[in-house]
Amino acid sequence: MDQIKWLIVTATLLPLLSSAAVIFLGKRVFGRATGWLATAVMAGSFGCAVAALWAWMAAGHPTIVWTVPWIPLNANGSWLYLGVLIDSLGIEMVVMVTLISTLVHLYSIGYMAGDSRFERFFSYLSLFTFAMLSIVTANSIVQLFVGWELVGLTSYLLIGFWFEKRGPQLACKKAFVMNRIGDTGFLIGFGILFYKLGGQLLLPAADGGMFVAIRQLIEAQGYSITNPPLWLTIAGIGLFCGAIGKSAQFPLHTWLPDAMEGPTPVSSIVHSATMVAAGVYLTGRIYPILTPQAHLFVATIGLVTLVMAAGMALVMTDIKRVLAYSTLSQLGYMVLGMGVGAYSFAIFHLITHAFFKCCLFQCAGSVIHAAHHEQDMKHYGGLIRKLPVTALCYGLCMLAIAGASIPYTTWGLSGFYSKDGIVAGAVNYGSALSALGTWANVFWIAPLAVAYVTPFYMARSFALTFLGRPRAQHLFDHAHEAPLTMLASQIVLATMAVVSGWWMWQNLAVESEEWFHSAGVSWVQSAAAIEAHHGHAMHRVHEALLQGWGWLASLGLGLLVYSFGMKISSQVVRLPLIHTLYTWAKNKYYFDELYDGVAVNIGKALAALAGGFDKHLIDGLVNFAGRAGRDTAHGVGRFDLAVVDGAVDGAAALAQDGGRWLRTSQSGRVRGYVLLMFVGLIAGTLALIFVALR
Amino acid sequence: MNSFLQIGLGHFVALSLLVLAAGVATVLTKRNAIGILIGVELILNAAGINLVAFNALAWPTSAEAGAAVSAAAGALGQPALDGMVFTIFLIVLAAAEAAVALAIFLNFYNNFNSIDVEKANAMRG
Repeated sequence: MDQIKWLIVTATLLPLLSSAAVIFLGKRVFGRATGWLATAVMAGSFGCAVAALWAWMAAGHPTIVWTVPWIPLNANGSWLYLGVLIDSLGIEMVVMVTLISTLVHLYSIGYMAGDSRFERFFSYLSLFTFAMLSIVTANSIVQLFVGWELVGLTSYLLIGFWFEKRGPQLACKKAFVMNRIGDTGFLIGFGILFYKLGGQLLLPAADGGMFVAIRQLIEAQGYSITNPPLWLTIAGIGLFCGAIGKSAQFPLHTWLPDAMEGPTPVSSIVHSATMVAAGVYLTGRIYPILTPQAHLFVATIGLVTLVMAAGMALVMTDIKRVLAYSTLSQLGYMVLGMGVGAYSFAIFHLITHAFFKCCLFQCAGSVIHAAHHEQDMKHYGGLIRKLPVTALCYGLCMLAIAGASIPYTTWGLSGFYSKDGIVAGAVNYGSALSALGTWANVFWIAPLAVAYVTPFYMARSFALTFLGRPRAQHLFDHAHEAPLTMLASQIVLATMAVVSGWWMWQNLAVESEEWFHSAGVSWVQSAAAIEAHHGHAMHRVHEALLQGWGWLASLGLGLLVYSFGMKISSQVVRLPLIHTLYTWAKNKYYFDELYDGVAVNIGKALAALAGGFDKHLIDGLVNFAGRAGRDTAHGVGRFDLAVVDGAVDGAAALAQDGGRWLRTSQSGRVRGYVLLMFVGLIAGTLALIFVALR
Repeated sequence: MNSFLQIGLGHFVALSLLVLAAGVATVLTKRNAIGILIGVELILNAAGINLVAFNALAWPTSAEAGAAVSAAAGALGQPALDGMVFTIFLIVLAAAEAAVALAIFLNFYNNFNSIDVEKANAMRG
């Protein structure tokens, strides 16, 4: 136990150490070796994580908690605690994050080679990894939120890494603000729970601070999760709003595509595998207290996101934006999975998606690197001849995300297993949700439909980039395969994307399932439980579709159409209805315009109002005070001049005039003085006599 | 004994007053510095007359006031000459004063080419 605990603590703190070392010593001491140093430290962290996972599995999947007091709250011995919480959800995230981070560090050595802030990039990257790890190992809600905000900050730094350019400046600001909106929801949810349940929320998990224990507390107080009070639903939705922000779900999704302005390694770690997955992780953490209504909300958000994002992924021509929208769509799947109760498959999809999407981004980065930072796929084509390894990795991951399988067997790439589980859960949920009537079927029809759109838009990006004839000859001539560091990372990730599904299907997914039941969440049946109950009956629908030839047909169509560049598709989008949809999706459904038009204008109006208030009332008061001070000073000055100075001058004038008057007696005539003397003498004598005689 | 014709203290005091008045009048009226000096000498002498006269009052001889008093004074062994001695000092003082005054007048003459005290008004306020 101790060993596992220390391994996890080490794995968490190593990136922080590396980040600090790199930022303080990088440029002066390590120089260009910084990249290798940071990668080595991350690899060490990954090693710790794997060792911990190994020991944890050997120990029989215990839940391990460890805490140290952190901040004293009052004199009664209340503290905020720091610590680690190791359970199946946490530890698999730790392993995934450290692995992805190690590979991205490695990849960045090649990708960022020419950058003037090479060292700083690695510092940010390691700091981000630390923040991410501190979320997934957090032992209390407070600690989780600290990590949560750290992730927000570091993603801001990473997206805005090339802050000289206008695009990244705006993008990092947008990402930050959008995340704050979500975090506000999180704080509201936390506040509601805190108000209703009290200080237990601040305690570490072992003392009832995390959501499993909170659920027990809620039930101990006589509330029911299946028939909950309204505040519990709102609290759950509020906490989930944090996940909406981080996982870029509808309606806060607009920051993710813009965040592609950051360096591509950032996109591959922050916007595919880790930060956006943090939202899904959070949903997994708060899962025990989500009420049926909150579940419906979560599922709806996921559903809207996955459909909407797939539509946008179909029409974008910037390779990174296509991947960004595909990420949105896949995140929608995960959130939908959480909503419909396919908890373990949502986490499973999170892991598999991390591998193949990280790899896809890295391949895109290699292409962009080769194409001298041209990102528009209109200018690509035929690059398979120049970048064969990258094309191979991209192709494998494309198959993984498409959910490729050998038709009518249970053998497939990683995406197949995870997406299948989510769709199965959605089918179950749709059939169980009698309240919505026929509309409930949307919950499984839409994800199924999008599961066929996914291979198409992935094939489109593959075909436009790697197949066909080069559309920009100059660009093609100068293209070259990426350096070895980048290729190595891509190959490892592609391998994971291919094999991780089957392996985890056997292991971690089942572990999650066990946690799921040990947490006492039984009111929504998990996909595996459904499968156990219904056998193959519930597979009838999705088996034929998902496990059949559908994905291959869609993929093949995409490859075929787009091997000729935009020639065919540009004809298709001229059709009346399709053209409308195309314009709509191409403009991102006008969400940016909507937000600019409504939120930004309201913000501006409020700012103008506040400005007017400031200018007229506050400034008025200040000016009044200033004027009053000035006038008082004038009065005091006048008093000073007239009275005080008058007294001083008067005394002087009195002395002067008195002197002038007295001076006249000093005539200088001796006889006058003598006369005065005698007169005085006689007068004095007479006075003496007079006094003596009395 | 107390008849008007018999010479007594009153006569001396009256003389002294006359001399003083004469001296003061001289000092007040003379513009010549030497004249003023003479007036001052007169004033001093008026004081001298008073001193001698009052000495006789304070220490009367036996012929004047009876044996007892004189005997008592004699018994005490004190000289009955205080006023006289002061008068001697007064004369000496007057001589010294005259010397100093004449020295001043010489300087006065050197500075103003005159000994008219009206001319010496440099210290006028």
